[in-house]
Amino acid sequence: MSFLIKKGIISCCFILMAASLMAQDKFFTKSGNIQFSSKGVIETIEATHRSVTCVLDSKTGDIQFAVLMKGFEFRKAMMQEHFNENYVESDKYPKSEFRGQITNNSEVNYAKDGSYTVHIKGKLTLHGQTKDVEADGKITVKDGKLIAASKFKILMSEYDIDIPGSVAENMSDTINITVNCTLEPLKQ
Amino acid sequence: MNKKRTIIGGIVVVIALAGGYGWYQFNRTVQGLADVRADFSVNATDLIKEFVSSEDAANKKYMNKILSVKGMVKNVESAQSTIVLGDTSDMSGVRCVIDSTANSTIGSLQKGAVITIKGAITGFNKDETGLLGSDVQLNRCVIAN
Repeated sequence: MSFLIKKGIISCCFILMAASLMAQDKFFTKSGNIQFSSKGVIETIEATHRSVTCVLDSKTGDIQFAVLMKGFEFRKAMMQEHFNENYVESDKYPKSEFRGQITNNSEVNYAKDGSYTVHIKGKLTLHGQTKDVEADGKITVKDGKLIAASKFKILMSEYDIDIPGSVAENMSDTINITVNCTLEPLKQ
Repeated sequence: MNKKRTIIGGIVVVIALAGGYGWYQFNRTVQGLADVRADFSVNATDLIKEFVSSEDAANKKYMNKILSVKGMVKNVESAQSTIVLGDTSDMSGVRCVIDSTANSTIGSLQKGAVITIKGAITGFNKDETGLLGSDVQLNRCVIAN
């Protein structure tokens, strides 16, 4: 009798272990890439961020991004200074976040190599303002890793970002954002 | 007549100088940090602790500063553009994005080596998921010798 109980406990342990090993539903990166650009009359304003944090839960389709605003790198120093000091006020609002969901998550087979078009819906917080954002993207499953890519547009005016009148004429309100992240399985 | 000429000449010089300065400012690239003195010299693990225990105080202290951070190489990531310093037993770290215009050779860096990196602090990314660990981020980094 006690032998049977022991056997039961042992097999239970094995099942639990196997389950926890299989439960690698979450993928992440801390070195994701986000670029933005805005076409102006005189020149295009461009910047890149190479330390984007992203977590994706393959089971629920929940996806989150976190970006430290000061980490955007510009080629020109003056653009970087204006961006941080006047536009996004990064001392006051150091972080931007996106929390959302892949609405067609069931169409993605995370266990099989392939490329899937996804639709994402969520909330973007930038410059202290939170707004709904929708975007199309692509998830590529390859060798157990995910490549998440998306392009979408936001309007500076929606996030209360004021551009001084003299500069406003030379700048577009539309910001093009390009996301490119390679996510690895999160070992828990 | 001569006076007038001097005045006009002076104005032209001032306009040229102002224009030149404006043009210089407009085209000025972000400064490399190789020859810049660090405002603070800290240990990677101490720096993380400081932010974890009081994010506000640490933010005030380090905001917009140049840091020289000493620590153990935990990882080299993202096509060798990021060096992570810190303790391997902890998910948190100091993430240093290497200045792509500086010719830092990080290819030969070994995990476990103790090095000093100079960079501009961009902030603290507090982990809200409880899974990833919180990080201090630096960019425009150069390896100090």
